Amino acid sequence: MKLLVIEDEPGLRDSIRDYFTAAGNICETAGDYPAALQKINLYRYDCIILDITLPNGNGLDILQEIKRIRYPDGILIVSARNSLDDRLQGLHLGADDYLTKPFHLSELLARVMAIVRRKSYDGNHLLVFNEIEMDLQAKTVTVGDHPIKFTKREYALLLYFIVNKGKVVSKNALAEHIWGDGIDISDNFDFIYSHIKNVRKKLVDAGCKDYIQSAYGMGYKLHDR
Amino acid sequence: MKLLDKYNRISLLTTIVVIIVTGFIYYFTISYILTDQVDKDLLVEENEIFEHVKLNHNLPEVFKSEDLKILFKNIGQDTMPRQFSNTQFWDDKEKEQEAARCLQSWVRVNGVNYSIHIIESKVETEELIRLIFLITLGIILLLIIALITINRLVIRNLWQPFYDMLRQIKLFNVTDQNSITPLTTGIEEFRDMNDEISAMSARVKQDYQELKTFVENAAHELMTPIAVMNSKLDTLIQTGGLNDEQGTLIGDMYGTMGKLTRLNKVMLLLTKIENNLINDQEALDVRATIETACSEFQDLAYNKALRLHTELTDVTLFMSKTLLDILLGNLLGNAIRHNRPGGIVTVKLNQQALIIQNTGKFDTLDAGTIFRRFQKASDSEGSGLGLTLARQICENNGFRLQYSFEDHLHTFTVHFK
Repeated sequence: MKLLVIEDEPGLRDSIRDYFTAAGNICETAGDYPAALQKINLYRYDCIILDITLPNGNGLDILQEIKRIRYPDGILIVSARNSLDDRLQGLHLGADDYLTKPFHLSELLARVMAIVRRKSYDGNHLLVFNEIEMDLQAKTVTVGDHPIKFTKREYALLLYFIVNKGKVVSKNALAEHIWGDGIDISDNFDFIYSHIKNVRKKLVDAGCKDYIQSAYGMGYKLHDR
Repeated sequence: MKLLDKYNRISLLTTIVVIIVTGFIYYFTISYILTDQVDKDLLVEENEIFEHVKLNHNLPEVFKSEDLKILFKNIGQDTMPRQFSNTQFWDDKEKEQEAARCLQSWVRVNGVNYSIHIIESKVETEELIRLIFLITLGIILLLIIALITINRLVIRNLWQPFYDMLRQIKLFNVTDQNSITPLTTGIEEFRDMNDEISAMSARVKQDYQELKTFVENAAHELMTPIAVMNSKLDTLIQTGGLNDEQGTLIGDMYGTMGKLTRLNKVMLLLTKIENNLINDQEALDVRATIETACSEFQDLAYNKALRLHTELTDVTLFMSKTLLDILLGNLLGNAIRHNRPGGIVTVKLNQQALIIQNTGKFDTLDAGTIFRRFQKASDSEGSGLGLTLARQICENNGFRLQYSFEDHLHTFTVHFK
């Protein structure tokens, strides 16, 4: 996957780049409006991560420029402004998704992957991880030839882990992914734990290896081994 | 007491006192003048008697008159002082005593002294005085009535700008868009006051707006550093080689970052709701929304072994879905979070109200303070803004959020009207 991160905050920009690069992607960065415009006019990307509050320019203008030239790049808007107007305007202008700061890098990766998958019209809805096969359209999971029945949340968890394979995913990121950020769920990590336990049990029962491991009280990791 | 009434009372009281005082002065003056007139008449009579005695050397014959009596009396060689006095007069015709004036004098006829008493009835004078008094009184009463009426009309009119202004001040709300409009009035005092109040309201609004903009900007500006810290933490946990102790520390940091983020988000949301910036109102099927929310919470409730009862009827409300979701999320979330294991949560919906009841760890909460900002239970992991948020949403939609403790159940009621 080739990505462009347009973000003026160096700390965030570098973290995103490192995270995506470590997951095996090519990740380029732009720190301001002119650099961003130059890059989008020279190269094509699978997905552009766009911060709409940039110094010397508005990210929405970049979005309009991309859409004007009809580039097919997927676009994920990242903004500190969680205002409905910005969100609607961004999506109306043709952005594929909208993520509010602060976010977890695992969530960003999951969103980007979803955009890229939607954009690639090869008719392949299957996400394969070793012996696990996920049909993203039918929302079913099979291990070998055994279909496994997952609940909506368990399915979402498994997908999130597979997308972030090899990464430690924090409990907070998991909780926010499942619950959204509208609800205070900080005192319900037990609940995440029991969900993950179920996912692991169902996979192991179907003859799958136990990929998901706990990572010291911080979170969980899906080991690719 | 209204200003008009107070003014009327004072002016009426003053008028009455002045009228009574002047009435007395008036009465005594007229009385004095008329008595003087009578006295002059008496002197004329006396003079006539002296003339007669001088000419004829005998006492004049006395004719009986309706209002005048002259009496002579032999007093030998005595004399008596010449003086006026008040006395009574017996009116034969009217058969009554009347006030009268008497002149006492003496005359010497052929070496004998005679006392003279000339008495003149004052009844006509009295009648005159009474008449004048009545007419005056009538005029004064008429004057008072006219004064009060005019006062009422004129003053009410004069004060109209004041009442207009007062109405505007009563309606003034610092969060509203509309401000106090300048009045067109010819009265300088009111114009000054109105100008000042308009300016003050504009200033207050601006200060409030600036404060809110500051809060919003501060929250926004905080989001970027939080985002950086979050991403650094996400990167840190990938580095590997962390031991359990370090892992636990990082986990704690995540928890705190999460809290900070939520707090910031709720503050932004609160500002937005207060500013009426969430305008995606639509006709909502509240029952379906509650059912969705309950199913979202089903797992949490199950985890705590709570029993979730619902008694719902079909209700349609015109409001923002975002806000209804937040309202339900907060109230249901609280009902589950602050519950005891194995407790009950009941959700009732009818045309009048939404009622959420739950068993809890504590006895009754202080209904006066629970809606305050940052007020929370000591063991709560929440932001302390949840109920403030819920109440703000209710206020914006014209609902009323109320807390009560009934049958050992914490009860939150949203009255729709």
